[in-house]
Amino acid sequence: MRYFQTRVSENRSLEGGYFVLTLSGCEALKASKPGQFVMVRGEWERDPLLPRAFSLMTVGGDGTAEILAKVVGTGTSLLSRAALGETVQVLGPLGHGFPEPSVDCFDLLVAGGVGLPPLLMQAEAAAAAGLASQSELLYGGRRAVDIVLGERLLQIGTAIHISTEDGSKGHKGRITEVLLQRLQAAKKLGKKVRILSCGPNPMLHAVGAIAEAEGIESHLSLEEVMACGIGVCLGCAIPAKSRPFRYVCKDGPVFDGADLVYETKLKIGT
Amino acid sequence: MNDNINFKVESGGLSFQNPILTASGTFGYGKEFEGLLDLRCIGGLVTKGISPKPRYGNPTPRICETASGMINSIGLENVGVEGFRTEKLPYLKICGTRVLVNFFGATIDEYVGCAESLGAMDGVDGLEMNVSCPNIKAGGIEFGTEPSVLVDLVRACRAVTRKPLWIKLTPNTSNIVALARACADGGADGLSVINTVTAMAIDIHTRRPKIATTFGGLSGPAIKPIALRMVHQIHRAGVGLPISGIGGIQNATDVIEFLLAGASTVQIGTQSFIDPAVSGDLVEGLREYCATHGVSDIRELVGALRLS
Repeated sequence: MRYFQTRVSENRSLEGGYFVLTLSGCEALKASKPGQFVMVRGEWERDPLLPRAFSLMTVGGDGTAEILAKVVGTGTSLLSRAALGETVQVLGPLGHGFPEPSVDCFDLLVAGGVGLPPLLMQAEAAAAAGLASQSELLYGGRRAVDIVLGERLLQIGTAIHISTEDGSKGHKGRITEVLLQRLQAAKKLGKKVRILSCGPNPMLHAVGAIAEAEGIESHLSLEEVMACGIGVCLGCAIPAKSRPFRYVCKDGPVFDGADLVYETKLKIGT
Repeated sequence: MNDNINFKVESGGLSFQNPILTASGTFGYGKEFEGLLDLRCIGGLVTKGISPKPRYGNPTPRICETASGMINSIGLENVGVEGFRTEKLPYLKICGTRVLVNFFGATIDEYVGCAESLGAMDGVDGLEMNVSCPNIKAGGIEFGTEPSVLVDLVRACRAVTRKPLWIKLTPNTSNIVALARACADGGADGLSVINTVTAMAIDIHTRRPKIATTFGGLSGPAIKPIALRMVHQIHRAGVGLPISGIGGIQNATDVIEFLLAGASTVQIGTQSFIDPAVSGDLVEGLREYCATHGVSDIRELVGALRLS
């Protein structure tokens, strides 16, 4: 595996600084699993210096791949403005993804903000396997503008529950409040319930704590700054129970929630 | 394309098929690059720094990006001497390139213990000593910043191994030549120049340092001019030890600059994070330069800087 050259075939900007970047020439990503990620760099030379990690949102049979991102710094700003035909270097698929959808399980897919892509991919994979009714997508953001790709989500056929902190769309409050409600309903289905989640760290910590308290299996996709994506720079260390540190790029990005150490400085529910 | 160009170099007690090595801390234990880079294409690799016992490293955040560079404070996380022997060495023995093992300690005794154990291992071609560590018995001053301490440390390690012994110098000094001379006096075989430059970065929104330990080591193209200057100072001073140039090398042009400044080998560091395959691609760039400039042997470039 090495970096391969792709081209921007579409760059769609959404409200709120979000954008969907479609790259062609991604045949190497065809077998990617939901939750796996890629390292991405434009023809940037030295500013920014390092590639950026993104979860995959879609890998098409036609060799295209999509990522959803939000402009937060120089790298995402440059990518958001990448022109059609521009070349982008990609390394992947990297890391371990979510467990596969199963007829024996009911999965609560909990997405926060820009953490949507791997869960969208998981929901679409489940639907493609005829398991759309075996999961629900719980999707939270600060404001209505943080809830993106609504039409595509509706097409999946999986039940969707939205929350916004300001109440401008869906339930007013945090997505973890919705999770607590839906968890009670899911438990009554008589199947093994799993939580699959991706979003900001405070949200993931709260989701992990809920799973732990309820005795439910959780699979959490973490984000950390990383320079390489291949287990060499050791920048993306996170504290764990099984070892002092685990690495988001090699051991994750999806972790068994029971192995994570929930930092006290990030108070649960805040 | 002229295929008769010689890329082989003899440096620091070792022969290399080409002058491209990979730098400690940016190349794991080699195996991490399996499938990403054919190790048989590079001159050699330098492993992650090994200490007597395993270390788990620093709290996070451990890295941040800066202008043309990055700061890291990983905390010298490593598997320790025994972990290295049992888990990492078997692969290195068959990896197909020269292997230098980087090592460090918190006391002179720890350094000596590492040098002796690692130097005795089959499959270890040479040792590279990291002297940028705080000397616990001397109030935490880095071993590598005081020539009188450094010469003792090098001499003590020299006494316990016959394997080639390179010293990786810290740039956090006002007199790099004095440190280089101390290494020569202590019996070293080569110098690796330079380690990272002590640095910091601040998040103005949280008013916190961007890495957990406040200070870290700056690497990447930002430090290349500093590294070149130090390589050249040591070369010009006639210290008498071969130099492996390190600091922000991204492409063949950068490699050639280091050779001209006086390095006989180079080490690729941060760029391996950006492009894991880069070290295998650089020889082609060297070949083009040599062909264009009528250079038949890469060694002709070493120290060939024109100053008048």
